Amino acid sequence: MAKLDGKKLLACCANGAGSSLMMENAIKKVMTKYGIKPSELRHCPVSEGKTAARNYDVVFCARTFVKTFDGVEKNGTVLIPLKNVMSAQEIEAALKEADLLD
Amino acid sequence: MSTVLQTIVEKKHYRFIDGEGVTWQDAIRLSAESLVADGSVDADYYKQIVACVEKYGPYVVFEHNVAMPHTQENATGAHKTGIGFMVSEKMIDFGEDEDGEKKEANLFFTLSSTNPDEHMNNIQQLSAIFMNDALLDALAAARTPEEILEAEKKYPCEEEF
Repeated sequence: MAKLDGKKLLACCANGAGSSLMMENAIKKVMTKYGIKPSELRHCPVSEGKTAARNYDVVFCARTFVKTFDGVEKNGTVLIPLKNVMSAQEIEAALKEADLLD
Repeated sequence: MSTVLQTIVEKKHYRFIDGEGVTWQDAIRLSAESLVADGSVDADYYKQIVACVEKYGPYVVFEHNVAMPHTQENATGAHKTGIGFMVSEKMIDFGEDEDGEKKEANLFFTLSSTNPDEHMNNIQQLSAIFMNDALLDALAAARTPEEILEAEKKYPCEEEF
């Protein structure tokens, strides 16, 4: 079983309408490529993500918003900051780096 | 079905500027003017986008000098889902990001969204366009709507994987 099967994934950006949606699409591509089925994958604005993050296994955000999620890793949430939010290749590499993809 | 670039041309949601001495705030206003023209957004809609960039920094500027100025879905003053496309001959300076990296843009895709399905479709297509460097170069060199369509025909988008 893949490590991300059944996990909850969240993509955050400032408004929850532009780049987080791009991220969600790019994450979906990676999940499809590896045949992984997360139990949840959604996007939202950072204002909401800040409190919601602790309920997710992995949170993706643009590097600008890293500080917003300060301390979230204490709850066991993995934070994946991205330079290019629409790059499935970067997401794939970052997940491998975090030992979440085989 | 029309591609987003075809829709931009059909709806006249485009603008070409020289960009000399234009601030990023003005550039966002100018890029939204084609959306204002047909009532897709109100004239002061752009101010919300400017406020957002002021608050969070130039995160709307992606790789390859592409800007996607936007606010949240169903923002006040947004009446139709659409994309205001703009090419600036000169780079527009957006200052520096959190890493001190200079951010500038010459291509603008300013978003308005009221319909989630149409918006999702736009975002998916834009993701593919933003990853297509050859197309972006051709769009940056476009000075007429015909050249937008020619660029797309010449450099169609392919799936990333």
